[in-house]
Amino acid sequence: MGERRKPRFLENRLGIAGNIIPWVLMIRDNPERVAFVLHRLTGLLLIIYLPVHIFVTSMTVNPQKWEDFLLLEENPLAQFFLWILFGSIVFHGLNGIRLLLVEGLGKGIGKPEPPEPPYKPTSLSSTQRTWLYAVFAIWLVVWIVGGIILFREFGWF
Amino acid sequence: MGVNGNGRPATRVVKIRVRRYDPETGRRWWQEYRVEAKKGTTVLDALLRIKAEQDHTLAMRYSCRMGACGSCGMLINKMPRLACETQLLDLGTDTVTIEPLPNFPVLRDLITDFGDFFKKHRDIMPYIVRESKKENEEPYREYYMPPDELNKIIRFSYCIMCGLCYAACPVVAIDKKFLGPQALGQAYRWVTDVRDEGLRLRLEKVDDKHGVWRCHFAGSCSAACPKGVDPAQGIQLLRSKLVALTAGARREKKPTHVATPTTVRYVDVGDAPKPTVEDKSLLVKHLEETAQELEQDLPYVAQALRDYLRTITSS
Ligand code: HEM
Ligand code: SF4
Ligand code: FES
Repeated sequence: MGERRKPRFLENRLGIAGNIIPWVLMIRDNPERVAFVLHRLTGLLLIIYLPVHIFVTSMTVNPQKWEDFLLLEENPLAQFFLWILFGSIVFHGLNGIRLLLVEGLGKGIGKPEPPEPPYKPTSLSSTQRTWLYAVFAIWLVVWIVGGIILFREFGWF
Repeated sequence: MGVNGNGRPATRVVKIRVRRYDPETGRRWWQEYRVEAKKGTTVLDALLRIKAEQDHTLAMRYSCRMGACGSCGMLINKMPRLACETQLLDLGTDTVTIEPLPNFPVLRDLITDFGDFFKKHRDIMPYIVRESKKENEEPYREYYMPPDELNKIIRFSYCIMCGLCYAACPVVAIDKKFLGPQALGQAYRWVTDVRDEGLRLRLEKVDDKHGVWRCHFAGSCSAACPKGVDPAQGIQLLRSKLVALTAGARREKKPTHVATPTTVRYVDVGDAPKPTVEDKSLLVKHLEETAQELEQDLPYVAQALRDYLRTITSS
């Protein structure tokens, strides 16, 4: 018989991968999770952009610098980034209102009634879910229509 | 091979891929088995058959086989599920992958360590806490709880501590100290209980950056729960309760008092049956004697009998 070794246990935490890679973990009927990931990503993007934004607006004090900066806007990559940023703000703001209602005021998640078959969780089938679909719909429409206006302004078509 | 009602073969051979782990060598590998599945064959049935007929080294945990004990949580086709409540053919795939529940340390193969998980549950004090020390240490009677109050918490009482919500939670995945959906859902269950006075004590753990504020309502806990407990709802209600308390918009609930046998008549159960002892004085005499006998050893029971005596003699 082989010598017994000291057992080692495996830390099996999913980490960031479990947050963003859909095939690491599958949860059915859970668009709230999609919104959670998007809210996080857009929040991070906005926070990274915040100092840039302050720096950029501070340039308006010096008209020459401002003119130089506006040249940057001719860069297609910068134009595309602007559109991504625009979408982020719209989603983060709209979903943020939903989260404030749900998380801060406990609205839209139903009441804790005694469960009945088929034991559907109330919070995932209450008004909150409707708000979520509305957030997705309004966001996509505003983002796409805004994109068309923006890119036309930029002379893409 | 027979054919069932909808024209599909009644039995089918399913390939089962199990993610195994050996704690002594630290080796982790996928192993494949084949089992015949028919309608009703659960993942747990398949694993037990593999263990009995093909490979006795395969380790898993189970107990009740009927979704009541919460021991058999696993990652089945990447979904946190109870093995005993998941049928192989329902999954609809030719290969079924089975892994240990994530976010729990793996001890061997499909067996995970629930130590942290249970500790977090204990941390929120999952029992009635009263302000009076005497009441906590020497409880002597049941507490008063109207049925509509029970209905407010009963959903959370169905928790079987299977840990599926904990495995599903994206925040538990990145924060080891986060109390997690099970414990927080139960924290809501206990602070909402009219018999409880432990809100302030529980806040020590709950009102913390690893507590209720860490939740971002991804809702995966509720989507994964096999019992319809809806921990996500509990957490949002708990958090909004804290928000309201902090803002002074709501006051703490008043807990109920210790019940006396007379108050327990809250539910209307219709008229009492006709007394079998026609002569009330006999019953009264008997109760008085019994109360006297019990005075020394069981004073509370004696008191209860006297309370009851009073109700029958006053009517
Ligand atoms: C339109 C107004 C905004 C609203 C209504 C809003 C709302 C919210 C809410 C409710 C949360 C908490 C989310 C949760 O609990 O999961 C949040 C998180 C966050 N917000 Fe905003 N927000 C707004 C604008 C901004 C801006 C301008 C920035 C960047 C400077 C920003 C950056 C963040 C970040 C980094 C997080 C953390 C994300 C996370 O933990 O997942 N937000 N926001
Ligand atoms: S809340 Fe549901 S998923 Fe979580 S431990 Fe309890 S029964 Fe399991
Ligand atoms: S064996 Fe008890 S819940 Fe599955």
